[in-house]
Amino acid sequence: MVTNNQVKPTSALDSIKIDVDRAGPTIKPQTCLHVDGLDLFYGDSQALNNIKMSIAEKKVTAFIGPSGCGKSTLLRCFNRMNDLISSVRITGKVHLKEQDIYAKEVNVALLRQRVGMVFQKPNPFPKSIYDNVAYGLRIQGIKGRKILDEAVERALRSAALWEEVKDRLTESALGLSGGQQQRLVIARAIAIEPEVLLLDEPASALDPISTLKIEELIYELKNDYTIVIVTHNMQQAARVSDYTAFMYLGDLIEFGDTTTIFTRPAEKKTEDYITGRYG
Amino acid sequence: MSSITSSGKNRAHERRRLVKDRVFAWVMSVGGVIVIAAIALIFLFLFYSVAPLFQAAKVGAVTQFDVDYAEAPLYVSLEEYKEVGLQISVGGSYQFFSTDSGRIIESSSLNFLSGTKMSSFAAGALTSNVIITGSDDGRADVFKANYTISYPNDKRLVSPSLTRPLEGQELVLDEKGVAIRLITGQSTEDEVTVLGVSEDGSVNLVGAVKESSFLDDTGEWVLERSTLSLEGNQISHLAMNVDQREAYLLSRDGTLELYDITSKTSPRLIDRVKVVEGSVRPTALKYLSGGLSVIVGDSQGNLSHWFPVRGPGNIASLRKIRSFIPMNSGVVDIAAEYDRKAFGAIDRKGNFSLYHATAERRVFSGTLGTQALSEGIKFSPRADAITFRSENGSIGMVEVHNEHPEVSFSALWQEVWYESRDKPLYVWQSSASNNDFEPKFSLTPLAYGTLKATFYSMLFAIPLAVLGAIYTAYFMSAGMRKIVKPSIEIMAALPTVILGFLAGLWLAPLIERYLPGFTMSLLVMPMMVLLAAFTWAWLPSRWKIIDMDGREGLFLVPILLIGAYLSFILGEFIQIYFFDGSLTHWMATAWGVTYDQRNSLVVGIAIGFAVIPTIFSISEDAVFGVPHSLTQGSLALGATRWQTALRVILLTASPGIFSAIMIGMGRAVGETMIVLMATGNTPIMDLNIFEGFRALSANIAVEMPEAEVASTHYRILFLAALVLFLVTFMVNTVAEVVRQRLRQKYSSL
Repeated sequence: MVTNNQVKPTSALDSIKIDVDRAGPTIKPQTCLHVDGLDLFYGDSQALNNIKMSIAEKKVTAFIGPSGCGKSTLLRCFNRMNDLISSVRITGKVHLKEQDIYAKEVNVALLRQRVGMVFQKPNPFPKSIYDNVAYGLRIQGIKGRKILDEAVERALRSAALWEEVKDRLTESALGLSGGQQQRLVIARAIAIEPEVLLLDEPASALDPISTLKIEELIYELKNDYTIVIVTHNMQQAARVSDYTAFMYLGDLIEFGDTTTIFTRPAEKKTEDYITGRYG
Repeated sequence: MSSITSSGKNRAHERRRLVKDRVFAWVMSVGGVIVIAAIALIFLFLFYSVAPLFQAAKVGAVTQFDVDYAEAPLYVSLEEYKEVGLQISVGGSYQFFSTDSGRIIESSSLNFLSGTKMSSFAAGALTSNVIITGSDDGRADVFKANYTISYPNDKRLVSPSLTRPLEGQELVLDEKGVAIRLITGQSTEDEVTVLGVSEDGSVNLVGAVKESSFLDDTGEWVLERSTLSLEGNQISHLAMNVDQREAYLLSRDGTLELYDITSKTSPRLIDRVKVVEGSVRPTALKYLSGGLSVIVGDSQGNLSHWFPVRGPGNIASLRKIRSFIPMNSGVVDIAAEYDRKAFGAIDRKGNFSLYHATAERRVFSGTLGTQALSEGIKFSPRADAITFRSENGSIGMVEVHNEHPEVSFSALWQEVWYESRDKPLYVWQSSASNNDFEPKFSLTPLAYGTLKATFYSMLFAIPLAVLGAIYTAYFMSAGMRKIVKPSIEIMAALPTVILGFLAGLWLAPLIERYLPGFTMSLLVMPMMVLLAAFTWAWLPSRWKIIDMDGREGLFLVPILLIGAYLSFILGEFIQIYFFDGSLTHWMATAWGVTYDQRNSLVVGIAIGFAVIPTIFSISEDAVFGVPHSLTQGSLALGATRWQTALRVILLTASPGIFSAIMIGMGRAVGETMIVLMATGNTPIMDLNIFEGFRALSANIAVEMPEAEVASTHYRILFLAALVLFLVTFMVNTVAEVVRQRLRQKYSSL
């Protein structure tokens, strides 16, 4: 159950295997998120149409598509951030491992501990660097100084930020540069050790060097986390992701191995988008 | 080709645009400057009105009276308009003279019985114009200078005359007929008391009371006498108070004795103290105006203030209340003012100093012209001049400008030991029904009242306004927020006079009547809310037919009403069964806690009501302005809404909430109508929530109409205004500075 206090999935879940992609790698990845028949409405207008997809564990999945195609909306379905908008209505199923995350008994706060999210614009809290990273742990009631110290250092190291900030952990996070802030936000998200990390255009507000650092970071992180990234930048999608989903006007047009999508897209729309006809 | 210089058909348009731009820039600058200038002017005017309070006294021109007198002068005094003076010489002759021309208006002798000479002389209380003389055969005589004012040809004419209050009744002081060495006394129309020390050291007290006849205006003087059982050879100074009930005897060795002489046949020693140390000799003793305390001067130039203080068991003891900045050399004489507690003193080297007793302030120190002065300085009735005798035998007067001696830092802000009080106190009492009352201008109780009002109103307003703002901005549904926010903001438009009126006439009696219910509601209503919340949470989901999210406030209204009703019912029950029907009465008898109907609780609620819209509106904006990305960031980390509100929203909105509280506080500090109408306006210093107070602002409103323009009272009210202005100015500045700082800190959000 998601409602219990465990952050990590139980080992029993590991036995469930769903084929994601017939053209996938030789070692078949396990499914982490499974979407089935998902429809989403903003009031009367439908934003997502019957989405069906399986997202592989410990792989990077990229969502691409023109603005307004619903890729961010779909991403937000995975940690139920769409709940905050009162006019949103959702039908269909989203399973995290074998659990339906839209089931009535689901505790959203616990779900979000398992499915972390990083937003387009860096959003550090007006607190110290340390307090930012420790935030997710503290709200879980973890108070031990030693545990927090270790977790903060681990998260900052994982986010490749430790060397830059280790001497000024008590300073305000707002004093960091944009790229550093974004890596801090990623560190904050991974400090609570989620299973899935949702990245909503994480580098679109950053300069090229910071972007590169984020991309390198994503590459590192996929060893430990299932990563879903929304991006406008097709090169970025090609560079960092294992799988790519192309969405258009609320429909999932094509979903598959990144190499396949970028070299031999099955759909005309995908090809048009990738070659820059629209978007 | 387009050009960057205006030309062609666009030229007129460009010019108009430029002119409009300049005109508006100019109008706005002028407007801004006018606002700043207006505030600066208010500030300057307040300063201008207050400044004279702290100016030192000035001594003006010296006038020598060019009077032709045969004998050396002994005493000189002036009437109220300083037009006519009275001079009495050592031989007993007297002259009324014009101070301008020196023309003698009336000249005569004090008319001693043949063969006797004046052996001692004293002046009675200043206001009575009485002179007492002792003769070398042991008798006393009393004279009174009268000044009748008439207006022939619309011009003021002062006609002086010297009368004998005793109407020929002989007053023998020393029955053995020994010369009177030292004398003092007081006289009213129907009562005369004289105390004298004879050459042989006997101290005699004689009182004469006129018993009027029923049939006509005539009366008969009845004499009572006694001889004090003490050796009077050492006595150097005597003083009797104006109501003829107390007398001070000062000896050369510094012993000051206070006698109760209410009964002329059996005077009673109240206390005896030593007023100087070692070889120092006391050299002057004078009653201050009002006859409640004396100033003692000594041979080293020290001046001290003494009066009897009631201790435990109602036993009075003489206490040295305060001493003043000493004079350069030994004190020669002290002169008291007619109706203020101010006095002047001269020393052996001819220095003159002006002091105020209760303010403990020296307002002037210098010389009066060049002459060395001898004993006998005296204030004119309006304290605008001092008459003096110089050692070369001439008399004169010197003008004194001493407008506000009674103001000093200690008098305004510290505890002051007023006459006939048993300890130093903070008192604001600016006026009274009688004339010899000393106004007491301590601003401390008023500032305390203002702080008390602010404290209790903030206690009421901050939780409600800030929590309400957080709920409205963060939890409430958008539709409901659209109604709630403007409704609360419109409360700010409610005139405070209406709030004050409701608080004083409706709320105050209501709270007095239902005090237990009211107190209970503070407990019961939050408990009802919690109960409702838990009930809702435990309700099976199929029963939750309404969407509560963001509209909880609406559904809590009936629950709060029920809570209020319940607590009042319960309160009444408790009042009847546990507090004999009235909690307020019970508190007064059982705990000694006074309950005023118009008290700080009522005022706290009313002012709280007045400032809630301000605090609410600014805090709500601050909370609502917290970037959505922060809320989302927190929620995405698995924080609950409550955790997000507490740890992120509140933190980020804190500058705005802080400045909201400070602005609300600034308003509460300056609030006038509510404190005026709902406090009772008693300037007491007490933290008791059930007692009233008087705030600076209300005090100004109450007393300004009755304060005489340019008087000390008037200027002190301006000082109160200045203090109030500075406090609100400071509170608002701190609010703004902190807000700017924090905003800068969070500016990258």
